[in-house]
Amino acid sequence: MRSAKFLSRRLQATLPVAWLLASAAAVAQGGPFEQWLDVPMPPGFRVENTELEGPVFADRDGRTLYEWPLHVQRNGYSGESPDTPACYDEVLTVTAGLMSPYPPGIVLPELETRPSCTDLWPPAYADADAKPVGDWSIVERRDGTRQWAYAEQPLYTSVRDAEPGDTLGGSKRPYGGDSPAYRVPIGPPPAVPPGFAVRTTSTGRMLTTDRNDSVYAYEGDAPDASNCRGECERRFRPLLAPALARSFGEWTILARSPGVRQWVYRGEPLYTFALDEHSWSQQGSDEPGWHNVYTQKAPPFPASFTVQATIVGDVLADQRGMTIYVYQCGDDSQDQLSCDHPDDTQVYRLAMCGGGDPKRCLEYWPYVRAADHETGGSRTWSVIGIDPATGHKAKPEQADAIRVWAFRDRPIYTYAGDRQPGDTHGDGTGEWRGQRNGLRGFWLRNDMLEGPR
Amino acid sequence: MKRSARIAVAATAVILTGTAAADDGALRDGRIAYVMTNLFWSVYQTEDAKDECPRGFNDGPREQFAKLFPKPEGMTVEETQLRQEIETWHPTSEPDGFEFYEVEGRYSWGLDLDGEASPEDFTHPDGGEGIDNQVYRAVGCIIGFRGPDGVEFIFQDKAIMDERYNRMMIELSGVDSLDNDDEVSVSLYRGLDRLLTDATGEKVMPGGSQRVDARWGASLIRHTTGRIVDGVLSTEPIPEVVIPWQNLRVASVHLIRDLRFVLDLAPEGATGLVAGYADVDTWYRQLIRNDSTHHLSNGQISGISLYKALRRLADAYPDPVTGENTAISTALDVKMAQVFVVHPGGEQDGGAGVTR
Repeated sequence: MRSAKFLSRRLQATLPVAWLLASAAAVAQGGPFEQWLDVPMPPGFRVENTELEGPVFADRDGRTLYEWPLHVQRNGYSGESPDTPACYDEVLTVTAGLMSPYPPGIVLPELETRPSCTDLWPPAYADADAKPVGDWSIVERRDGTRQWAYAEQPLYTSVRDAEPGDTLGGSKRPYGGDSPAYRVPIGPPPAVPPGFAVRTTSTGRMLTTDRNDSVYAYEGDAPDASNCRGECERRFRPLLAPALARSFGEWTILARSPGVRQWVYRGEPLYTFALDEHSWSQQGSDEPGWHNVYTQKAPPFPASFTVQATIVGDVLADQRGMTIYVYQCGDDSQDQLSCDHPDDTQVYRLAMCGGGDPKRCLEYWPYVRAADHETGGSRTWSVIGIDPATGHKAKPEQADAIRVWAFRDRPIYTYAGDRQPGDTHGDGTGEWRGQRNGLRGFWLRNDMLEGPR
Repeated sequence: MKRSARIAVAATAVILTGTAAADDGALRDGRIAYVMTNLFWSVYQTEDAKDECPRGFNDGPREQFAKLFPKPEGMTVEETQLRQEIETWHPTSEPDGFEFYEVEGRYSWGLDLDGEASPEDFTHPDGGEGIDNQVYRAVGCIIGFRGPDGVEFIFQDKAIMDERYNRMMIELSGVDSLDNDDEVSVSLYRGLDRLLTDATGEKVMPGGSQRVDARWGASLIRHTTGRIVDGVLSTEPIPEVVIPWQNLRVASVHLIRDLRFVLDLAPEGATGLVAGYADVDTWYRQLIRNDSTHHLSNGQISGISLYKALRRLADAYPDPVTGENTAISTALDVKMAQVFVVHPGGEQDGGAGVTR
């Protein structure tokens, strides 16, 4: 049964309040949820707020909707072209050879239990009388059934999602060119003025300019008064509103001086930091009293976890200070099925973490165990039972199950090769620098490898 | 011409002169600093490679896969791809069935690290004996490590220009003269700033400034001493140096023991060698974490075969339990451009010492 807390934070997408939706009553852990711009939707479809991805579109049952964009691989493409469904109920049996140097035609693991694409990604079917609306259209599948599409991309739900607001099937976080062709949750545009953007990060939905410059606020300011003047203005540049801009929703405008108007978000005048050296930076937050601005913060990580400084930036760590890693995996089939979840085949993960030996995996890449008193505090951070012999989720009555911390329903790990807090020697372990069958550090801040501004 | 002198001439030609910094004299208040602009494993190459690699170059993952699995269709992922990935990520010293071509030539760049001339040592092209550079013996016949177009060679040069993660620099203090000084202090820092280039963006200029990374890079700071003789700086070994090293945005490192610099110094820049003993496991993991099997294939670098060679050729720091050597002698070619170092708090060294 859906919890009262869950119900209270759900927003109704059909509120007839101009083109904005209010979310004053919707409070995420640690702060409010992100507001969005209202767009036309098929009857019964709605917007759900989510912990990590902000507002997403959901079908009439509240299931998050995903697209599968075309993604360039090393030896071809995977994903879907506009208006062209490519996810069907056929169980693929061999590799596609999309990632060199390995050739196509190799038999995929565990064929007897291998799911089809639609087993994992049920299409969002449209009723016989459904009609296109706004950016929503209807595409015809091979068998003649009708499927919803948004911005020409066919839509699916994920079997990983258990209740409305789940986004366990995928993330909006940008992924690299050598990553699998991921499924991505879709949603309405964030309610930000032109010139701003929002990006999903490990720390939350970060507000930036449309040029990816981080946006900051100063605790010494007030909604109607900026105390960043003189020399301060040379370091923190006010984000100015055009002459015709008007206040709306959580956005207001401060008159810094006659004719000079500054954007204010949730009562905080906004700035960029002149000394930021890369996009999506957190460097300005090192200045006393200044902080990055988020439309919503990521759920707090478990209380026993720590944050450790490394030679790159800050990384999430366990209570001993040892770096936490997330396993990422997508197979080389044309379907690009995920293999990063305990319900997926464990063949890939066991190969990488222990050369195929589950016991070596437990030694080299131990799970982050949850203490007896610890329970998951959110849908993002949970405690799950794992069968240590297989890596799959344990059965409820399984005596030798271990309780481990999970991020997005996937276990997290530390690395035996890390000797002390701040070590990140496991980062990039595995195929394609850890992006396809391997492990990446849980970075909270990356000052050194974000690329140029 | 001596290797170091030859490099110095080349570097001086590359680095544009005539900046305000150089005109004023970069050595101020006994301080001068240099930032690395090139750093790569020192590989002695003859024109056709016949001297050092008479049997040719090694196969890479693509060639080895084709030999192991001539008809992979019908085989499973576990039997093929994952088998090779397991060998890559869980390497052993056991033979892999492929003959590995080590460098067979007599000559190598590098330094005599242990003061001994043993049979496995190389001869310096200038005639010096006892050159310790077993990394060269392992990688010299792998095309990915050879200039000017090996994949590792290209990526590393590009990464130093593009990124700040690997912005290592040295600062000399207590310097009376860049020609001769019996004792100078040498500090190793990471910088926070991009390199100063000319308008093309390709040529590094002297006279830039670099803030010391005293936060994320605090653990990278090292200090030693050295002496300058006829314009060549030779430092005392530093017991353990961590060098940030990445080429595809994985934050990996090299761990070099007994690291020392031998540099030709000039007001505009410094060139020469960094040498010491590289921790084998760190060296190997840096390679495979940054380069997927695809990238290794482009350089015909079989991580599986190379790891066995590194283990076989390791020549220092025996494990106290197994007795197996854990480190391997190496040398790196380094080029540096003069910079003004800005320490936390604003003190600018290597220049006028002004605060800004």
